[in-house]
Amino acid sequence: MPKNTHLQVNPSLQNKKPLIGDWLVIAVSIVAVIVLFQQFWSFAPASQLKIRQGSTVVGIYDLSQTRELHIKGPIGESIIVINNGQARFKQSPCPNQYCVHQGWLSHAGQVAICLPNQVSLQLLDAKNTYDSLNY
Amino acid sequence: MRKTINIATTAEDHHIAKLTALAIGLHMLEAVFPSPLPGVKPGIANIVTLYVLYEYGFATAAWVSLLRVFASSLLLGHFLSPTFVLSLSGAIFSLCALFFTQYLPKKYFSAISLSIIAAFAHIAGQLIVVRIWLIPQTGVVYLVPVFALAALVFGVVNGMITKKLIRNNH
Amino acid sequence: MRLFLLYIFFCLLTSCSKPEPLYNTQSYVFGTLVDISIYGESDSQAQEISNQIIREFQDLHNRLHAWRPSELNAINHAFAQGDTPVSIKSDLSAMIQDATRLSVQSNGAFNPAIGGLIEEWGFHHDEFAPKKVDENKLASLVKANPQMSDIVLENGSVFSKNPAVQLDLGGYAKGYALDIALVELQKLGVKNALVNIGGNIIALGKHGDKPWRVGIQHPRKPNAIAALDLESGWAIGTSGDYQRYFKLDGKRYCHIIDPATGYPVQGVQAVTVLIPPQNNAGTLSDVDSKPIFIAKPENRAQAAKNMGVENYLVIESENKISISPSMAKRIIWLDKDAEKHAFASQP
Repeated sequence: MPKNTHLQVNPSLQNKKPLIGDWLVIAVSIVAVIVLFQQFWSFAPASQLKIRQGSTVVGIYDLSQTRELHIKGPIGESIIVINNGQARFKQSPCPNQYCVHQGWLSHAGQVAICLPNQVSLQLLDAKNTYDSLNY
Repeated sequence: MRKTINIATTAEDHHIAKLTALAIGLHMLEAVFPSPLPGVKPGIANIVTLYVLYEYGFATAAWVSLLRVFASSLLLGHFLSPTFVLSLSGAIFSLCALFFTQYLPKKYFSAISLSIIAAFAHIAGQLIVVRIWLIPQTGVVYLVPVFALAALVFGVVNGMITKKLIRNNH
Repeated sequence: MRLFLLYIFFCLLTSCSKPEPLYNTQSYVFGTLVDISIYGESDSQAQEISNQIIREFQDLHNRLHAWRPSELNAINHAFAQGDTPVSIKSDLSAMIQDATRLSVQSNGAFNPAIGGLIEEWGFHHDEFAPKKVDENKLASLVKANPQMSDIVLENGSVFSKNPAVQLDLGGYAKGYALDIALVELQKLGVKNALVNIGGNIIALGKHGDKPWRVGIQHPRKPNAIAALDLESGWAIGTSGDYQRYFKLDGKRYCHIIDPATGYPVQGVQAVTVLIPPQNNAGTLSDVDSKPIFIAKPENRAQAAKNMGVENYLVIESENKISISPSMAKRIIWLDKDAEKHAFASQP
């Protein structure tokens, strides 16, 4: 059987454990993966939803769930839905319904505010793209 | 009377044929099982490529890898479809990576290193095709880190399996 | 070896999630959202400072409220009754003087004396409904020609030569409050802060080693159209048709009313201005976008020049965006469609 001799592995070096070079490759790869996550996911789909009512944070919710939240404000109850990485106002007691018309929010940094009921939604990521929004 | 055409085959041809058949089998197996994330696959057929590289050298490994891509796509009916092009570009890129990494000192770098590097080259090749040909929008970039993570995990696992196979053979 | 790698891995992870000394609070004042970020102070200190600033805002809001009993409301009543002088506090007097100067500078496009028109359009309510306006009433309100220059301030009292003058500082007070906040923050020893009142933002210092970064809302999509770094002392403000508006028979009526016609401005979605550091940068960020918003497309550059605004962005529609050359250098587009359609106008 023709065998490639220069690829022949010395059995004494054969070990179940990865070799030192393997660890090096693994380490470099882990760093590369982390860097890629940081690079590409800075503008990426958001991971969390921060809900505020008045000046208090009602809570921070993971976006990877399907859930309906009822938030009480000064003029009634706002209904917020979280669905597969997105969130929106589903129902609001406010007359103008701007918040409901905003539709789905899915990217980090996006904001929907219901002024009359003083409820705000903000999508978060580990790294926010800006500190505050001019509108 | 039946006429048979005899093609002279060597023992090596038989080996290549057997190993390619195994690779095709694994490739098909993966194609049948749905992946939880589209595009993320363990790439177990690459174990065969790596194994052949260690046992028979680069030229044979390249044959096995490319034959596997062509034959599997014909069997699955993907020939010349986007799936085939992705498969081919991935295979070519990982073969290029293996061509260079086979010269890494064996004392320090085992099949695990080669497997990881080949897996990264594989997704790099596929992503380049996706980016310039299939989905030129920016949307796909979100998936890059996920693919890279998958390449790392499956690269390590496939490398360890390959390593065990080579050892047991000795 | 493995331990070492694990160690490196955890260092990398923790370096991503290290908490920074950033305090952020939101509250509702001026009928809008007030968002204060303070960097580099302890949480308890930052909380105390922002509470104090919010109290001042609340106080200012109560004094300047256009349609609830307030100092301003009382003055408006007196104006409507005739030209009998009533007493006025000195800071409010200074505000009116300053607003008058800006109104003249804008050739009357910025006109806080048209409270009557805003009332007629129904925007003088926390909640407003689509409203059919009385065209004759609008015409007579425009004809009465209420101007800031009709107001006479002397010896701590005020009266108006024109009974049609009704003050509405809605396009002034938020910016004024930003200036007050900046002075107050500096007085309290804060080095780094970002204050946002209903979209008007002023920056002090930096966010750590980077400047404060602000997003600019897309007028029709629920995300930011662009972002830019707001250096210390700079302020940014936007007039948009998407903030307060109602729709009637498919037409959008926004809260920005052209004093010359008496009707809401049509055909422009948003005007953003960026104001360099100066004593009244906050006020200018609120005021200066209005004359540009109200001006006809061909006169916008001149309107900006009149107000001394170099950095501005005009969004007429999704595919008609113009930006001044100096602003174009600062902006970072986040919406790629917008970037394609943005067009740098001549200075």
